[in-house]
Amino acid sequence: MAPSDPIPIETAHEDMIHDAQLDYYGKRLATCSSDRTIKVFDVVDGEPQRGAGQTLKGHTGPVWQVAWAHPKFGHILASCSYDGKVIIWKEQQPSSAGWAKIKEHSLHTASVNSVSWAPHELGAILACASSDGKISVLTFKDDGQWGADVFEAHAIGCNAVSWAPAARAGSLLAPNAGGRRPAPAKRFASAGCDNIVKIWGFSEETQAWVEEDVLEGHADWVRDVAWAPNIGLPRSYIATASQDKTVLVWTKDTPSAPWAKTALDPSVSAAPSAGATPGKFPDVVWRVSWSLAGNVLAVSCGDGKVTLWKENLKGGWECVSDVSS
Amino acid sequence: MTVIRLYPPLFEEGKHAKFLDSGHTLCAAQSPRDNSVAVFATNVYKVNSQAPRSLEDKHSDPRDIYTASTDRVPSAERRLFVTDTSVVFASLQDFKNNHSEQDSLIGRSEQVSPVLIKHAVDYVRIVVDSWAQASPLQYDDNHYRILYNCLSLFVVLYLPEAGFDDAPVGEELMEWLNTHFIEPSSEEGDHLSSQDKPWQDETFWPYLTSSHPRIVQFSTEREFVVALRRWKEKVKSLRLELDRVPEDAREDDFENWWKPFSNIVGILEGRPEIIQNICIELNADWKEVCAAWSIFVNHRLRRQDLPEVVNQILEIMPPDPTDLEDTIHVALFRGETMEALSHAAKLDGWLAAHWVDLMEPLDLLTPRVSDDSDISVRDQYVLSYADYLHSDPVLWRITVAYMCSCGSIGRERADQVLLRVPISFNRSVAGSHDANVSVEVPDALRAVVETCHEYGRESVRRMVCTIAAQNFLRRKEYGLGVSYATSAENWTWLGRIVDAVLTEYIKHGPEVFARSVAAVAPSLQELRAHPGADGVFTHRLLFAVRYAEFHQRRLNGDLQEAALDILTMFNEGLAPRTWWGVLLCDAVDLVRNDNLMLYSSSGAVELLKRLEEVHLGASQGAGDDYLSILMVTMKGSDESEALQRLKSARLSLAKYYAKCTMVAGGRDISGSRVGIIAV
Repeated sequence: MAPSDPIPIETAHEDMIHDAQLDYYGKRLATCSSDRTIKVFDVVDGEPQRGAGQTLKGHTGPVWQVAWAHPKFGHILASCSYDGKVIIWKEQQPSSAGWAKIKEHSLHTASVNSVSWAPHELGAILACASSDGKISVLTFKDDGQWGADVFEAHAIGCNAVSWAPAARAGSLLAPNAGGRRPAPAKRFASAGCDNIVKIWGFSEETQAWVEEDVLEGHADWVRDVAWAPNIGLPRSYIATASQDKTVLVWTKDTPSAPWAKTALDPSVSAAPSAGATPGKFPDVVWRVSWSLAGNVLAVSCGDGKVTLWKENLKGGWECVSDVSS
Repeated sequence: MTVIRLYPPLFEEGKHAKFLDSGHTLCAAQSPRDNSVAVFATNVYKVNSQAPRSLEDKHSDPRDIYTASTDRVPSAERRLFVTDTSVVFASLQDFKNNHSEQDSLIGRSEQVSPVLIKHAVDYVRIVVDSWAQASPLQYDDNHYRILYNCLSLFVVLYLPEAGFDDAPVGEELMEWLNTHFIEPSSEEGDHLSSQDKPWQDETFWPYLTSSHPRIVQFSTEREFVVALRRWKEKVKSLRLELDRVPEDAREDDFENWWKPFSNIVGILEGRPEIIQNICIELNADWKEVCAAWSIFVNHRLRRQDLPEVVNQILEIMPPDPTDLEDTIHVALFRGETMEALSHAAKLDGWLAAHWVDLMEPLDLLTPRVSDDSDISVRDQYVLSYADYLHSDPVLWRITVAYMCSCGSIGRERADQVLLRVPISFNRSVAGSHDANVSVEVPDALRAVVETCHEYGRESVRRMVCTIAAQNFLRRKEYGLGVSYATSAENWTWLGRIVDAVLTEYIKHGPEVFARSVAAVAPSLQELRAHPGADGVFTHRLLFAVRYAEFHQRRLNGDLQEAALDILTMFNEGLAPRTWWGVLLCDAVDLVRNDNLMLYSSSGAVELLKRLEEVHLGASQGAGDDYLSILMVTMKGSDESEALQRLKSARLSLAKYYAKCTMVAGGRDISGSRVGIIAV
């Protein structure tokens, strides 16, 4: 099946774009930029709709990431910026009234690099990672107020944060004794400038976030971490991207098993470049993200290419697509 | 591996290094809707917020976002093909599900084979139909021809008629070959004999086989064997005659006629080496040798014996490794079904998916479950095909159908697809209270709910209904909101909708309120019948309905009934405490109508008792409990003003009570004592 010609969408941002995210239904695209704004477009079959783009202003520095919340909360977008703020926006009704800020969160003292919404089963919860070394978790409570937990995570700075899916891996394959559904897991992974990835879990007894695990394997700053959606398989998957030019996929077969790592190997792809080192990408790896079903991993590398990877039948990872200019 | 290049390109050929040096790189976000990816250029030094140097010679704006996809969205004819075959697939799944209890599904039982054959033949038929319509844009007619060839070969080799498993396969092989590779012609033998090299004529094989006894011509194998023996005798005598021809007579003016004739007889005798040589000369390939072998050399060749014969032939006539179709044929002949599948997947995911589905009940897949993942081989190919279908969001129903046939993992993936089917509630009626505008439930919503029912995806159905309820609430379509919230069993949202309806009264007054409730009232019955319905919310809805009825009656002038409504609401405990203030004021408004005695004295007493309770509560600091709604309707007045209003209400009520007792002929209502009326 031959690949198709991509069609570009003109965003009209005045400066570099840092993030673009499609909403839950894939019908709207939110982009954020160094021009301090966020733009939201309706997208139908890859084409932006005329007159439907809206600009959200409120940050005073480059905006690094945007994240859409689950539609059951309404039309909600979170953004984080170099100005140390996290803003939560909500689309007003009717939709022609535009977007309004419903919360501005300024608990960080340095650039906030990444925001991520928790699985909707846990409620409206947002995790934010900042260069001040701390992670904050914002929870929207029943009384309409936002609660915040802030704690030290990675000494030099945190680059990314990603939540675990709510259903415990394997919960649907192995029937639970007594037929009760297991309580949703409240945990996330954070990537830091200290070269490690930490896994944090919420302890109900102490009502605080506890460091559950440490994943060591990278030799330089970990730039991004992505926890795969769990589609009934017994394993949990986490992908991490690092400045040391590697992408590691961490797997855990059962809740009590340790995390095992596999490195993605671009040198076995169809056209390996001269002098390619096994297990290493040509350049720093910046972003990793999983597809909806958790079966495709998109890797964005500093050599100007995006590659898509799938797990093959033998448990290894192979590159299935290569996107470049 | 597929390579996708962005168009228009961000930078020219050779400027790659410059792009990188200026601090740019590519980033991507995957779409949940289909298999597309949004790609954009971004800067690399974001943590240090160092702005990238501007790109020179750029062909396209680096602030554009590209969308790319690895799969080509099916075009119209392909979509039709996919849809038609999905019907056959669904029918086969139904059959499998109905027979899953019997373990006779594995193996070629009498019941299973005909069903499989029928479905395989249906697929073939659809392929042929699509072939006729193939447009050059996506999959050309050559592609469908290959599908046709492979599918029919599969039917020949692996799906014999029930009971014919051990029957000789030659006949059918030859037929397959003739149908698919050699165009049949109706010319007769004299045409052949008039040629110098008759075997180069396209009718050669059909002619030879037409004279050779064919098993289909006989009703029992024994008769066939007898006829064959007689034929062989004739051939033998022909050979003897031929061999008697002296050497020098074997040539005529043109050439050596004897040799070719001897070869023909050799074929009829069933000599393998002659057949092979002829085929090599003919530029025929291994398939023709196989077919010829199965007719002339070993007429009793069975399907099981084919792999050995094929391997022999292939040693001398190797297949073309660059020809994917041929590779598939080789694998099928050799019985290497797993090989055939993996090559088929490269040709067209459709073929692999539907084949593996037919192969599984025939126990042709080894191993059935791949070692590392927990997905069976069948599921893997079908899911891979379903992923391809997902590239076209319009085909979501078919995508879900295929995914749901793949066990729990497939069903969960289907959930994700179902959850993300966009539903447009496109009419926005904010601010409009026109009850005459009919409300439409979006088709997509109906379709998703129906599909959830079909495949038993309860949790998805509830989530979709909850989101629908929210959307209806936002559009003030309360009736539908309540209906979907009930369907989702999301009582919190039901409560919210009822509260919103009640708020209508506060904000817009009784008429609008009555209309809003009218939309909601039909759901009440449904709700009461619902076993899991939370009593609190049902109660609240009931109150809303009753209160609306009260207003409706008042508006219609049916004051007596209206008065009774208020009393009933109090007596049945329907009225929430926060609304007492409002209700009491409403009740007293009726009382102020001098001409009518709407309440009996016991009614009046009841109202006075409630008033007393409110005052008592207010004096103890719980005024909010009773007066909050009243205060809001009095346009944000505070508690003292509300109390003032209630005091005047109490005065009116007391006067009324006095009138009551007078009218009743001075008969005192026994037992009831009214509190001291303070002025």
